[in-house]
Amino acid sequence: MRTLIKNILLIIIIALNSFTVFAQDNLVTDLSESTVEISSTFSGADILLFGAYDGQKNDDIIVVVSGQKGNIKVDKKEKKFGIWMITESIKFSNVPKYYYIASNRKIEEITNKSEIKKRKLDFNNFELKNNKIDYKNLDKKWYEALKRNMKKKQFWKTEENSIKLNKNTLFRKTLSLPSNVSTGMYNVKILHYRKGNLISQEESKIKIDKTGISANIYNVAQNFSAIYGIIAVIVALFFGWFTNFIFRRI
Amino acid sequence: MYIYLPIAEQPINAFIVLGIGWLVGIIMGMVGIGGGFLLTPLMIFFGIPSPVAVASVANQLVAPSVSGVLSHWKSGNVDFKMGTILLVGGVIGSSIGVLIFNILNAIGQLDLVIKLSYVIFLAIIGSLMFIESFKLIVQTKRGKPNRGKLHQHNWLHGLPFKTRFRKSKLYISIILPLIIGVIVGILAALMGIGGGFIIVPAMIYLLGMPTSLVIGTSLFQIIFVAANTTILQASQNQTVDIVLALILLIGSVIGVQIGSKFSNLMKGEHLRLFLSFIILLVGFKLILDLVTIPLDIFSISVIQ
Repeated sequence: MRTLIKNILLIIIIALNSFTVFAQDNLVTDLSESTVEISSTFSGADILLFGAYDGQKNDDIIVVVSGQKGNIKVDKKEKKFGIWMITESIKFSNVPKYYYIASNRKIEEITNKSEIKKRKLDFNNFELKNNKIDYKNLDKKWYEALKRNMKKKQFWKTEENSIKLNKNTLFRKTLSLPSNVSTGMYNVKILHYRKGNLISQEESKIKIDKTGISANIYNVAQNFSAIYGIIAVIVALFFGWFTNFIFRRI
Repeated sequence: MYIYLPIAEQPINAFIVLGIGWLVGIIMGMVGIGGGFLLTPLMIFFGIPSPVAVASVANQLVAPSVSGVLSHWKSGNVDFKMGTILLVGGVIGSSIGVLIFNILNAIGQLDLVIKLSYVIFLAIIGSLMFIESFKLIVQTKRGKPNRGKLHQHNWLHGLPFKTRFRKSKLYISIILPLIIGVIVGILAALMGIGGGFIIVPAMIYLLGMPTSLVIGTSLFQIIFVAANTTILQASQNQTVDIVLALILLIGSVIGVQIGSKFSNLMKGEHLRLFLSFIILLVGFKLILDLVTIPLDIFSISVIQ
């Protein structure tokens, strides 16, 4: 209830503000949160994206959220000696670990193919880089497998028809980040289209970071890994001794 | 309640994991053997990556071993000299095991080897336990006395570097306990198990140790093997999830204590028969996952 009131208030404030801003810029957006903290009880996050635009009838809004880029390995299994084992692997470099596209109607209906390619409004136009692998001549099944699995894990997602436009001035969209989302800076791009042409755009950033105990544990494990191992052993030694101590008394 | 695991990088239902640790702990306490061989596959079924499952279970293993050794020590049931030789072998073995672990990880077959080792292992342990306990139950019903195996002299007793183990009343070569230690150490590192059900029969039948000393001494050496594995896995592969290990160990140490208090409620052979079913079931589930056609023959993973 509190968040609902907060959200409504924020929308009203933004809506009021935007009337004065229209003169310079016809698209104003904001996020309910600009940082997401992965704490020890993290189980995903919802961020409200809202905005106002100087719209006309049949204008369109597309939202693209992209995460850090990294290397993703695709493994292929084959049946050998009766069991399914990995027989071939391909490494894709410079892959967005998170990519989310939302719009008010089908993207194909909003704009043309070259615009889709230029603005990366689907999953087929990422610039993958790897000196060792020639992705152009690679069997298509590998990229299809990457796409299929990224979608299955909800790392890549499209939600067409999910943005509700209100009287050609307001829109809102809840961005749901899955619990296993990777950390880093996320780029939120809001695109305003009129008759297939981009007329204005806005960009925001969301920082996703590990915080609290969970972040400290991760950092120690990565940077002081031998000490981390010793601590892990001491903790277990202590608990072993402690339960013996307690149960001897019962 | 969901808790985010910092190394496995996923949230997990803490109560369920605590419950699994507790149940496995009860079995451990009642039967008197380690539970790593059940915990690791259960964690894999839960979606924890197998390298993390193996390393974290090795970490949690330290706790029930310590509390077990303390009880056995009080009753004077630990041969520290034998334990020390076993643990020297164990530390060497677990170092070799982590090395093999790294090589398998580099060639991308670690997951498969862990699962396959478990299938083979659970099948052998499960069927041996089943046959042994089933025979015992039938024999007791017919009223036949158990044949006690006598300590036999064989070629193993002709090996050099003989030492006297006062506590165990033995005069044998240190090579044999050293080798047993190495094998158990390799298994601990690769599979996240203490190897109690290998070392216990080996100590009784190969070394000829008195049965009363066997469990305490093996637990003593497992502490060091598990500790060495934890430190090596943490420093070389960063696969030890301390949060997962902590939840598991809290559950298992409590379970062990409860289990050992109730161990005389049920006959040992009935318990082992029951346990052999669980072991075979877990092994069967693992092999089923390996032989059935995957939903997608392609899979992805984020790499550095």
